[in-house]
Parts: sequence; C-alpha cells; structure tokens
Amino acid sequence: MRDDAPAVVERWIEADGLRFRYVETGRGAPLIHLCGEGGLRLTPAHELLSRHFHVVVFDAPDPGQTPELAATVTRAIGALSLGPFNLMGTSSSAGTAVGVALRESAGVTALVLEAPTTIRPEARDAELERRLAELTTPTLVLLGTEDTVVPSAAGRIYKEKLPAGHLVFVYGAGHAISIDRPEAFAEVVVDFLERREAFVISRATTLINP
Amino acid sequence: MKVSFFETVRYASPHALPPEWPVPSGSYDPDAGAAAYRAMLERLQYVEELGFDWVSVSEHHYSPRILTPSPILSAAFIAAHLKRMTLALLGPIVPHSNPVRVAEELAMLDTMAQGRLVVGLLRGTTNEALTYDLNPAEARERTDEGMELILRAWTEPQPFGWQGRHFQYRTVSIWPRPLQQPHPPTFALGTSRESCEFAARHRLGCGVSYGPFEVMARATRYYREQCARHGWQPTADQILYRANMLVAETDEEAHALLRQQSSSAPFVMRAAVREAMTTLDARNVAGEARAPVTGALPTTFIGSPDTVVEQVRRCREVVGAGVLDLSLHPPGSNELAPLMRALELFGTKVLPRIREI
Repeated sequence: MRDDAPAVVERWIEADGLRFRYVETGRGAPLIHLCGEGGLRLTPAHELLSRHFHVVVFDAPDPGQTPELAATVTRAIGALSLGPFNLMGTSSSAGTAVGVALRESAGVTALVLEAPTTIRPEARDAELERRLAELTTPTLVLLGTEDTVVPSAAGRIYKEKLPAGHLVFVYGAGHAISIDRPEAFAEVVVDFLERREAFVISRATTLINP
Repeated sequence: MKVSFFETVRYASPHALPPEWPVPSGSYDPDAGAAAYRAMLERLQYVEELGFDWVSVSEHHYSPRILTPSPILSAAFIAAHLKRMTLALLGPIVPHSNPVRVAEELAMLDTMAQGRLVVGLLRGTTNEALTYDLNPAEARERTDEGMELILRAWTEPQPFGWQGRHFQYRTVSIWPRPLQQPHPPTFALGTSRESCEFAARHRLGCGVSYGPFEVMARATRYYREQCARHGWQPTADQILYRANMLVAETDEEAHALLRQQSSSAPFVMRAAVREAMTTLDARNVAGEARAPVTGALPTTFIGSPDTVVEQVRRCREVVGAGVLDLSLHPPGSNELAPLMRALELFGTKVLPRIREI
C-alpha cells in the first residue's frame, strides 16, 4: 500500500440474522466487491480502485449459511443505504453477484465478474444461463489467459448469453487476476465502471511529442 | 521429407552499392527492382514444376539483398501466380506488428490461397528492431504476447478484449477467419527455450535455422521434451530446418564455389552500433547462451548430389526435421543464371532422392 493510500475502515452489517464483515476505502461512486474463496483481504488492486471509487469489500459469503444467499447479500448491501452501486464478484462469488444484479437491476449500475467459476464448459448450468439472458446490466467478464480453474472457453458462454456483456482476457494472469496483474486489472475495471459499454472506445493517447 | 524453396527476391544492382547498413535508399534502382520481382515469378514457376512442396518468404527491412519487407504482400502476390505450391510465410516479425492485423491478413491470405498457407512466427534478429524503433530488450515479451494474441484472434468465436502487457484491445473479432481450421499449420521459429516452450504449449511446430545439426538438435530435442510434458508428440512435419545448400556436379566444384564467398556479412552496421546491438542480442539454444551471428551465414549442405543426399539423411536423423527450407543461391554471385543451374541440378538429382528420407 502507498503511504498516501486512503484509510481503511472495518465494519459489520447484519441481514437475515447473518453478520457480514466488510471494509471500506476510497471515495467516489460505490463499488461493492464480493471476495472469492480466499476471503477478505485488501490487495494492491483494491488500492488502485479506491483512487476512483468508494470501495466496499465484503468477505466471501458462505453459501452454506442460507438457501437464498443472493437475497441476503442484497439486503445487507441495501442496509448500507449507498444508493445505486457498482458490483464486482470474484471466482465463486461471481454467481452471488449475478444473483444480486438480477434482483437489483435498477440499483446495480454495472457488474464485473472476475474469473467466475459459476459456468464452465464441462459444467454448464442451464438455469443460470437462462437468467443471464435476462440480465440487462452492463457486465464485464474477466478471465486470465493462464487460469487453470476456469478455461478460456467459459468466457464465450457469458459473452453469448449476456445481452450487455463484454469479455476481456487478461494476458499472463492466472485465476487470481487482480493479484497477478493488479494494474492491468484495475485499468480495465475502472474504465468499464466509469464509461460502461462506451469503454470500447479508446481514450489512450498515442501522441509522443506535441 | 518435405522441401521448401526459400525465395529471397535477390536484387542485382546495376552499380556498386555502399557497403554499410543502412544502404541509402537513393541508391536503389527501380528498374532493377522490377526485374528482381519478374525474375522471382519466373523462378518460382520453375520451382513449382520441379516439384518443391513449399515456397517460403521472410521479413527483412532496408536490405538490398532481400527485397521482402512485407512477407504477407510477397506471399499474396506469389499465391496468385502459382497453382499448387504451399506458401510458407516464415516470419511476420511479431514484435514489429499489430498482432490483430497479422491475424487478419494471414486469415485472408489462407482463404484467398484456398488453404495453401503455412505460417511461422518469430521474434526476428535484433538488427530488424532498428527499422521500426522497437526496444530490443522488449522484443521477446512482445513476441510471446503477440503470438498468443494471433492464435486467439484466429480461434475465439466470440468478440473479446485483450488486456496485455504490450498490446491492448477492447474488441477483437476478425473476419475472415482462416480457411484451415482451427488455423493454418503454424511454427514458432527459433532455437530459444522460450520459443520451444511456446510451440510446445500451443501445439505448434518448431523451426530452427542455419546452425550445425548437433546444435539445432539440442533445440529440437528440448522442443520434443516440452511437447511430451504437455501431453503430445509432434510429427516430423512439425520440425523445420532452414539452411543454405550449395550443390554442384562434384564435391570439388562445390567447395571451390564456397571459397568465393566472403566471410563477412554484407552491409554491416557501423562498429559502434553493431557492438551495442550485439550486447542486446540475447540468444539461446534450449536455454544455453548462443553467440550472436556476426559473419556470413554458414552453408550446411555442400557437395555433389550424392554428398548432399547423405547430409540430408543425417539432418533427418540428428535434427529430426521433416521439412527442409533451402536457400540455393551459389555464393559470390548476384547473377541469376547460377541459381537457375543450381535449381535444375537440385530438382533433377537431389529432390527425387530425398522425398523418402
């Protein structure tokens, strides 16, 4: 973390009798991040995102605790009274993030799925794929080219089903994209959340000397 | 053994050229250039009649010896004039290129040429980096990433973005895709550990060039080991060896011709640049450091047809190569007549005997 990194605050929120630990950092439009199996830990990527967003990082919700995890997480986020928010789900929490976005289609401005494990070519989920087709939220799916958990071929399933989906391969990253290539990860996530589908229009300069 | 003719579009200057690289482009003679391309077509029609399997082209910049800065353009032009031979595009120099553009153009060429395309992707030698102001220190990384992106652009059925280290695209979705599916036969060209590993990981062929059989065999052995690690075995057709061949009626005649060859490379850079470049030219054979090439490229196959046939047999045994990519230019001459004589001798006395090797 940089010395001038924004302060990090740890808090708890309750919904449906479950307590969720979360940390907050940064200023700007809210970005809720549902962590993956590794649990809650702040990474250099969070620090990069916190320069642009009010980042709220939730511990990985345990699917065993409630039959309606997405509904409970939706209520927990609602209890924070943040207004419309961006949502990001990592690995196994990407499915929960999709569930939240389907419930809160008006409240979720944009959705990012980092290395989602929910659908794989060898483990298709017809019901979820049907519901992806109903998800009108602009959605960015990120896959590492070296991911040994989720093969690249999974990406095209999301791209086919999502009406406003974008698939981006992060070169040289494994399953933990934001840890393997934090700058590359944060650059595309920030650009997507700021401009949503218009992020396909480059705003990088090629000017060398004016 | 498959046999490929390495077409270099040899340019015969009507006047002496300055010896130093870069040779001023003002000393280029447009009529001599046009004659070189006309001669190329005549020669390749003969090469096709002789029964060569492939014609190969390469990418070289600012060179009065090899007029092919754009190998894709050469290959497209040649493909339009030949009926049967496969075009072996051994080099687009990947780090110089927009990989998406390379993927598009190769897919287009494969389709226009009705699937008569073989591709070799490579880093290129360090001197080539000077032409497009590329930092040689980044060339290897750009090559690996560019090659991976080319393969993905050919095969990924849905539009995708690429968040790379050296390349970034938000939308890639090429049209046309290659005619040969999933993509044309492709080689990673080079002896380096990186190149062999890339080829093995992506189930590509491996192409080596010019070095002695035993040294090149270290690279092809390493490549085969890596392929085994990735659970597959390359065929003989997936190991390519490029070399100079000097074939004459007798061994004595061939060696006498070789003695006419200058030992230094033509059009050398000034010493200060050459030395700085040499320190940057990090090469290896299967991970072992390899000295930079400074003089003229060696002639691996030399002698009478009988001698050369035996050398090809050894190449197959030692290197494991199933494809030979041959430059047949007799040294010491820029004239085309000796090349045509060498071609005839090779085509009638050598080619029919190395098919079954």
